[in-house]
Amino acid sequence: MSTGIGFDQALTAWREAAPADSRQLDLPVKELLDRFHPDRKRGARSKLVIGPNAGEACPSALTRLLQSDSLLQDVDIAGAPTLEADVLVIGGGGAGCIAALTAARAGARVLVATKLGLGDSNTVMAEGGIQAAVGADDSLQRHFEDTLRAGHFKADKELVAALVSGGPSAIRWLIREGMNFDLAEGSQRMGGTLLRKTPGGASAARLLSYRDFTGLELMRAVREGTLMQSNITILERHPALELLSDDRGRCAGAVLHDLARGRAVVARSAVTVLTTGGSGRLHLAGFPTSNHYGATADGLVLAYRLGARLRDVGSFQYHPTGIAWPGPLEGQLVSEAARSSGAVLVNGLGQRFVDELQPRDIVASAILREIAEGRGVARDGKVGVFLDTPSLERAKPGILARELVTLRNLARRAGFDPAEEPFMIRPTLHYQNGGVEINAAGHTTVPGLLAAGEVTGGLHGRNRMMGNALLELVVFGRLAGASAAADARRERPRNVGLTHLADWRRAMESQRLPLDRKAPLLFPSYSNFDPVRDRRRGA
Amino acid sequence: MATARLVIDGHPIEGEPGTSLLQAWVAAGLPLTENVGCMGQGVCGACRVLVRRPGERLAQTGLACETLVEDGLQVAFINLSRGSRPHPYDLHALGDSWDAIARIDELFPEAERCRHCGGCDSACPKGIQVQQMVNLAAVGQTYAAAELFDDCVQCNLCVAACPEHIDPAHLGQLVRRMTAAMTLRPSDLIMRLHELEAGEQPIDLDAPGARPPAPDAEDAR
Repeated sequence: MSTGIGFDQALTAWREAAPADSRQLDLPVKELLDRFHPDRKRGARSKLVIGPNAGEACPSALTRLLQSDSLLQDVDIAGAPTLEADVLVIGGGGAGCIAALTAARAGARVLVATKLGLGDSNTVMAEGGIQAAVGADDSLQRHFEDTLRAGHFKADKELVAALVSGGPSAIRWLIREGMNFDLAEGSQRMGGTLLRKTPGGASAARLLSYRDFTGLELMRAVREGTLMQSNITILERHPALELLSDDRGRCAGAVLHDLARGRAVVARSAVTVLTTGGSGRLHLAGFPTSNHYGATADGLVLAYRLGARLRDVGSFQYHPTGIAWPGPLEGQLVSEAARSSGAVLVNGLGQRFVDELQPRDIVASAILREIAEGRGVARDGKVGVFLDTPSLERAKPGILARELVTLRNLARRAGFDPAEEPFMIRPTLHYQNGGVEINAAGHTTVPGLLAAGEVTGGLHGRNRMMGNALLELVVFGRLAGASAAADARRERPRNVGLTHLADWRRAMESQRLPLDRKAPLLFPSYSNFDPVRDRRRGA
Repeated sequence: MATARLVIDGHPIEGEPGTSLLQAWVAAGLPLTENVGCMGQGVCGACRVLVRRPGERLAQTGLACETLVEDGLQVAFINLSRGSRPHPYDLHALGDSWDAIARIDELFPEAERCRHCGGCDSACPKGIQVQQMVNLAAVGQTYAAAELFDDCVQCNLCVAACPEHIDPAHLGQLVRRMTAAMTLRPSDLIMRLHELEAGEQPIDLDAPGARPPAPDAEDAR
């Protein structure tokens, strides 16, 4: 990273210019993205040579993981304890809980296996809100087109249509599960209207919220609902090491790792739903992340090895406003609510450099450009730009205390007053735009394997709109759960084992890929945890 | 500032000033696979700890991702599973709101027996008036009770602290979920759902706005 302008000097420049005049981007969008978006950096990417997406490029760290060998051999599961279920859900975040609830209510016996605790996920951390076209001035068509445009027209139209048309009923479903939503000012609980904000890149006010912790409110209701639901067995601290296959290539469940005992558990199921979330903890291109601790791309690895196609897997979202300083808070999110309320971005010279309400990929790239060209702010070895909260507070007195509660708490932990001093921010790795390819019923290209939520690809194209992640996990969690329960009544796997691994290893050898590289990671590189060694503990 | 020396789960470690207990634990080379989730945002409630400061007689509860290292801290992780459900209920089978409020007593009979010890209040890392919520819920003041639980992160420390097994965290969620499920009926949402049922919101997959613009138009954006 280049050096920037010293903090004290930058602070003086900001003070003299505040509030800084608006300035449009002086580069064409395409050139900005090509030169500064981390996805487009050459050299940081490499081509897949085996598996269904062979020939496509993705970030090298991910390519290495996708082309790794299994942690397991046939012998590892020979005497392992075995569990049976109609539907196995891997992952206990929002999508997993909602798929499990839906399948269980449709009569399936459901097993939920999760690496951390139930609900400890990216869902619970979501702040801004959830999109649904409910306003009289809004329509499904607008939501559809806005989503496609924000994703640079690379999304799957059928999936996006399913997403937006499921929006209003997803909100009704959440309310029935006991989730609260903000109401328009002065509005009544019965017969009033929902508070609607405008997410970046939207043509109508469509973002529904619960304060600035919408994900927490959603997860509380759904986590509690999952705990209370009969027919669901929950296994916490049970990450999946490998999917099971049958002799026809159908998914037949998974081999789990019981972290408490250090041993394998075989979970056989008629249908498996993958809801393992994203991959921010891979820290691609060296970026900090806003993601939870378990986001290590496990689901992509497992699905790919069993032969599921991925799509847009080289596309990631870098949220413009992660904390750059102080170091211990690096990567944590300053909600987009700050910018949508009017806070502007200022470089080390006290100048604005982009329209802050452009889609996230554009704003993030503009910030990275300022830093790369030496106009960033440097402090204690960290470089970022300013998010001008003091000018926002002066323009709208009281807004920090009233509406931006989480932001104020974050500043308190960083040790400064956001009404006096601007935040130092820098883009943070936030969301995996692509993932496992699915259809509008949640099926992957592998029979018996479904997927929902951040692990899937196709809905967001090359860039996700704010508020579409929570909507996705509700709509597609429900769709996948319903499909899973129905499919489980039809066909069951037979001759279950790890048969797919023989083909996989042959493919690896034919491409001279090292068989000592193992995945999934399960935990970040700095976790001081080695799954290979941990598995020997219980043997 | 000097490095802080502290003890976590029996391991003497050194922590850089300004880092959280979780960050110090990992930096000390210790394996982190449990009691962790959001890793710093303080919303998942997974990293519960008991913390005793030097010279203090009593230990305090907190979240390890929000508690910063200090010299002389004695820290122990509190491993609580969320997996049990001593007070099961089906939100959709509570009946209408006339009956539902009365059913809180049937579902959480211990709530009436609160002995006002304040254990739940001192256990809560978010400063929620847990005991007040329990008392309001027990007399049917559902909405007031629900509002008090706005900041709950379901860490379940109040559950562990309660000598009467009231299960305050789950009671708090019950009243919150009841108030939403039984009283929130936004007219704009309902109108849109009616339109959808009547087929009045078709999506045109090939509308002009659903097609990429010419390459130079994308640049001009």
